[in-house]
Amino acid sequence: MILEKDNAATCARMAKMRLTPQEEALYEEQMKELFAWVEQLARVDTSTVEETAAARAAYLRPDTPVTDEALSNALVGQFSAEQDHCVKVKKVL
Amino acid sequence: MIKTVFDIADAVRSGTLSAREAVLESLGKIKELNPQINAFVEVWPEEALKRAEEIDARRAKGEPLGPLAGVPVGIKDNILYKGHKATCCSKMLENYVAPYNSTVVEKLLAADAVIVGRTNMDEFAMGSSNQTSVYGPAHNPVDFDRVPGGSSGGSAAAVASGMVPAALGTDTGGSVRQPAAFCGIVGVKPGYGRISRYGVVAFSSGADQVGVLTGDVKSAARMLEVLCGRDTNDSTSLEEPVPAFSQQFTSDIQGLKVGMPKGFLDDLDEEIKEKILAAADKLKSMGAQLVDVDVPHAKYSAPCYYIITSAEASSNLARFDGIRYGYNDKNAKDLNEQYELDRAPFGLEVKKRIIIGSTALRAENYKACYLQAVKVRELIKRDFEEAFKKVDVILTPTSPTTAFTLGAHKDNPMAVYLADLYTCQGNIGGLAGISVPCGNDKQGLPVGLQFYGPILQEEKILNAAYHFEKAL
Repeated sequence: MILEKDNAATCARMAKMRLTPQEEALYEEQMKELFAWVEQLARVDTSTVEETAAARAAYLRPDTPVTDEALSNALVGQFSAEQDHCVKVKKVL
Repeated sequence: MIKTVFDIADAVRSGTLSAREAVLESLGKIKELNPQINAFVEVWPEEALKRAEEIDARRAKGEPLGPLAGVPVGIKDNILYKGHKATCCSKMLENYVAPYNSTVVEKLLAADAVIVGRTNMDEFAMGSSNQTSVYGPAHNPVDFDRVPGGSSGGSAAAVASGMVPAALGTDTGGSVRQPAAFCGIVGVKPGYGRISRYGVVAFSSGADQVGVLTGDVKSAARMLEVLCGRDTNDSTSLEEPVPAFSQQFTSDIQGLKVGMPKGFLDDLDEEIKEKILAAADKLKSMGAQLVDVDVPHAKYSAPCYYIITSAEASSNLARFDGIRYGYNDKNAKDLNEQYELDRAPFGLEVKKRIIIGSTALRAENYKACYLQAVKVRELIKRDFEEAFKKVDVILTPTSPTTAFTLGAHKDNPMAVYLADLYTCQGNIGGLAGISVPCGNDKQGLPVGLQFYGPILQEEKILNAAYHFEKAL
């Protein structure tokens, strides 16, 4: 388990969040404590667990496409503006 | 005074009580107590009364009414109710109005319940004390200086104070059961997939589950009957039919096998340990058999929970970028800055969980951290599956402590995380869990007892809890 020195700042950037210097310092400290606690998981023998166990356990529906015009219209209709059956959002820049 | 879901619904259906009277009583209690308790962040009195009057008019015409007729209900602020705000108690969504009904709201309305308002919660359901809400903390009705628990603290406080006989919450790591324990009421989380998550703002999609808070077990059973069931809008919802939970209580619990997990009471507060052991003795005196079981990996539930749910949260909350909905800042100069400014309103705990999740999912950490947590979760599930081959239900405390004071643990978040030990096992294992009161500590604070049962066998935990509640 690798916890880099600037982990909080890096992860915040990856998550498109901006931290204050105080938040960075607070999270660096709290991350150290939390991941030291989580480290106990590394000592558990999981050799009997296949990597796909979680996927097998998921309830998956058949992969068949469904067209629902009424739902599509209802979803687009939720927004205040649309064009060509596409939702129009605020101009970002 | 009529208080329970069962009492109100049956009285309204039979005509001995009008829906309007039931709702007026609820609104009166809310007006009286909510300024001190802050259980509700918004109430809709005119709409609730109008709906109650419609229900009464239908009854007067001889039309059949639903199983929750006239019952005033609160819904947690992360459950969508069309045309009403759903803010997750976050500045991020402070003006967000739900464009559609969640499935659980549709079911409440179809059952003729009356939704009176949205309840307080920890921001985006991340927390165990209802202190991170943008609307201010909720207060425990038993002691106003204490937390009601979280994240569904508002719902728990609303029921415990008598404002409503039932409220919906969501439970990702104990957020229905723990506040139920702190406030001295009943809180149920059915097995994962039993209740549709469609229209419930996602925190951790593999662990989130809608739960109910009520004053008694029978009322919780009726609520579950209404809310459980397959939903094609939620592909993780289960196909299996829903039993009539409130009709399936046995006459006694002779022969019920109650699992006592090895080591579960170690390092526990002495007063709570005493109450749990007394409860076990009580069950034994009622004819139950106490059976030792071993769930050796369950002690890893809390670290597993924090890694897996934070990873899922970092993904789920990526949608809050202010473009389609949510807080949108007008001062950005480029796209990156737009995103950063739009996501600035997240509170400290939310940001932290996103960072935890992102850390666990970083390429260099993924295998050792996230993937390992998923594998350990599988081991925990297997432990419980093995245990349930020997017993019907498993008994644990709901929480290692009673309700703490507002502001406690402010500088010690790990203390709060460790408090989820007994409840998060249920979410990690996908189990059904119920918390019922089992007495008070020396300060008069409620202690919660928890029963776990396997998924798709909620009737077992309801039955055990029902008989324990009657005997207490």
